[in-house]
Amino acid sequence: MRSEPIDPDGISWIRVSPKFITVQLIGWAVGTVIAVAVASVPLALLLTEVWPGFPAWLAWTFSTGTLLVSLWMGVLIPRQVRSIGYAERDEDLLIRRGIFFQRVMVVPYGRMQYVDVAVGPLERAFGLASVKLHTASPQTNAAIPGVPAAEAARLREQLSARGQARLAGL
Amino acid sequence: MTGPLGPGPEVPASAGPTRDVPLVPDHEDSWHRVHPISPLVRGWLALAALAYFFGRDWFESIFRGEPLWLLAEGRGFVAAAILLGVLLLLVGGFLTSWWFTRYQVTQEHVRVNSGILFRQHRQARLDRVQAIDVIQPLLGRIFGLAELKFEVADAGESAVRLAYLPLASAQQLRATILARASGAEADPEHPDQILEAPEHPVLAIPAPRVVGAALLSGSTVALAIMVLVIGTGLFVGHALDWSSSGVILSALVPGLIAVFAGYWSVFSTAYNFRAAVSPDGIRLRYGLLETRAQTVPPGRVQAVAVTQPLLWRFKDWYRIKVNVAGYGVSAENAGARTTLLPVGRREDVMQMLALVLPDPGTEDPFGVFGAGLAGKDNDGGFVTSPRRVRWLSFLTWRRNGFAVTRTALLARSGRLWRSLAVVPHERTQSMALHQGPLARLLKVADLQLHTTMGPVRPVVYQMDIATARRLFDEQAARAAAARRHSLPERWLEHQPEDPGGPDHSVFPGQMERGVRPDSPDRPDQQAVGLGGQEQDEQH
Repeated sequence: MRSEPIDPDGISWIRVSPKFITVQLIGWAVGTVIAVAVASVPLALLLTEVWPGFPAWLAWTFSTGTLLVSLWMGVLIPRQVRSIGYAERDEDLLIRRGIFFQRVMVVPYGRMQYVDVAVGPLERAFGLASVKLHTASPQTNAAIPGVPAAEAARLREQLSARGQARLAGL
Repeated sequence: MTGPLGPGPEVPASAGPTRDVPLVPDHEDSWHRVHPISPLVRGWLALAALAYFFGRDWFESIFRGEPLWLLAEGRGFVAAAILLGVLLLLVGGFLTSWWFTRYQVTQEHVRVNSGILFRQHRQARLDRVQAIDVIQPLLGRIFGLAELKFEVADAGESAVRLAYLPLASAQQLRATILARASGAEADPEHPDQILEAPEHPVLAIPAPRVVGAALLSGSTVALAIMVLVIGTGLFVGHALDWSSSGVILSALVPGLIAVFAGYWSVFSTAYNFRAAVSPDGIRLRYGLLETRAQTVPPGRVQAVAVTQPLLWRFKDWYRIKVNVAGYGVSAENAGARTTLLPVGRREDVMQMLALVLPDPGTEDPFGVFGAGLAGKDNDGGFVTSPRRVRWLSFLTWRRNGFAVTRTALLARSGRLWRSLAVVPHERTQSMALHQGPLARLLKVADLQLHTTMGPVRPVVYQMDIATARRLFDEQAARAAAARRHSLPERWLEHQPEDPGGPDHSVFPGQMERGVRPDSPDRPDQQAVGLGGQEQDEQH
């Protein structure tokens, strides 16, 4: 993976599991079906002649527009997942994400208030988990999704231990 | 209400909850109650609604000269009984809730038990205090009562609210809590004589400036735009010979109400604003109808923002907002509570910044912070956006920038609405570099500093990518280093040795008038006495 301009020097990112792409794609497929179905209600009403007065071009735009946007988002998912990465440094944890709108975040271990490990049904089926770090700031949106369960447990223990060692107040 | 009694000699054998304010640390089972009239002060709205409900009918009947429906033959007794019943229920409810609300302040904790059916036991550690407010609503001022609010870092919800205590008791209790939270040694011979830390007035905002600030606020801009739009509407309507000018004018009413509400909120919260400093931290007092006295202990301010609304630049006025972990974003008066200075000249801003940041970490604080307030380009050591982003932000590219001192990061932005955010290094929670597609094209990035919940959101906008990355790395290292040397939570407990000495690092001219917030002045307080503390809050 090539390094993006905003990535700090000398960092080798740990990428999340490729299985997370499948998880995201399944979620995306369900969402797409629902979104397209909802957006196609006017078209269905028009074609079944329940509401013949509805402008045809608008109905078609709704349906095809939603479909196209959803497909585009689906195409992006693999790249988005591959762009997520994290790296443990001595004092802090780095997390990156995003392809168009990129973000690199640094969370000092001493600032962590608690660590969440969450597993949803889909993630469980693939043996994955999400790790989330919380500081006293609500802006710290430090989530690492799609981590293999064993790695998530190791991260949680590691982060808690390092947080204890470097605990600072607010 | 008498539980098993502690062995303490001070506690009489018959001690139930008392109404005296605890001056010596409470034992596990000595409890106190708030003033019995409190529920009335809190629940007066219910009573007012009741009075309105019955009173309106009454008045209208009198003015119409009709016999009162309620007092018509045969109904008077029933009506009186109903009224009495409702009143009794209310008063009974008030009394029960008062009876079941108890509090205690021990050496380590403050505890409040409340609730009748659903009991709530709340306990907060004293040394975790983030701020203490003494609030007097209008009715409370009439009765001489005040509410004591004890904030810990839970983003908004008050840890402990003691409503209401007599004003003098509330102030005494605040002094007691602060003394214990600070870790100051009590006089072993008179453990009940905890005196309020001496304070030095720093500044007061004169009333004319408050009026001026309100008139020059954003409400006036909104009013001007509204008048312009509606004037145009009227003109066009007149030219086209419409008959709907009444409708257009009536659209003005809600707008006007909003504008005057805006004026009022500025005026009522900035009125009579005074700031002072004491070893227990920064003291702020303000309010027109409801008065507040806030105390923010040293090291509790997480981030500061100095802003200048568009019209204030004519007078070179600024406003200071702070993030304090305990204040959060609770709806109630949050705008006023997080305001460190509602309106002030540049020298006032410098004084308040000196209180928040006793060590500015630079040899030329006025130069650096002055450039942060109103400067542009590289004056004061600021690093600004590269010239190539002028197409993207043609107004702000010479102003967006940052400066780093030994103790804080300054993030400057805004050309018309100027803004400067200051984050002490040891208060940085986390950081993030952001880059969107346009920014990547221009090889720039934004650095966002994360702090606790509040009005300040420091961002360094559109830095050259190499600069941004270096700042990101260096700031992480600086924050880590500063955290190791930050003040202890009990701010008077043991003095951190200040290797640099106290003198070179403060704003010149400031500290002769103030006191270093971490100087151990407790012995002197005994001499100041209770009389000295009353003057400012009695109005």
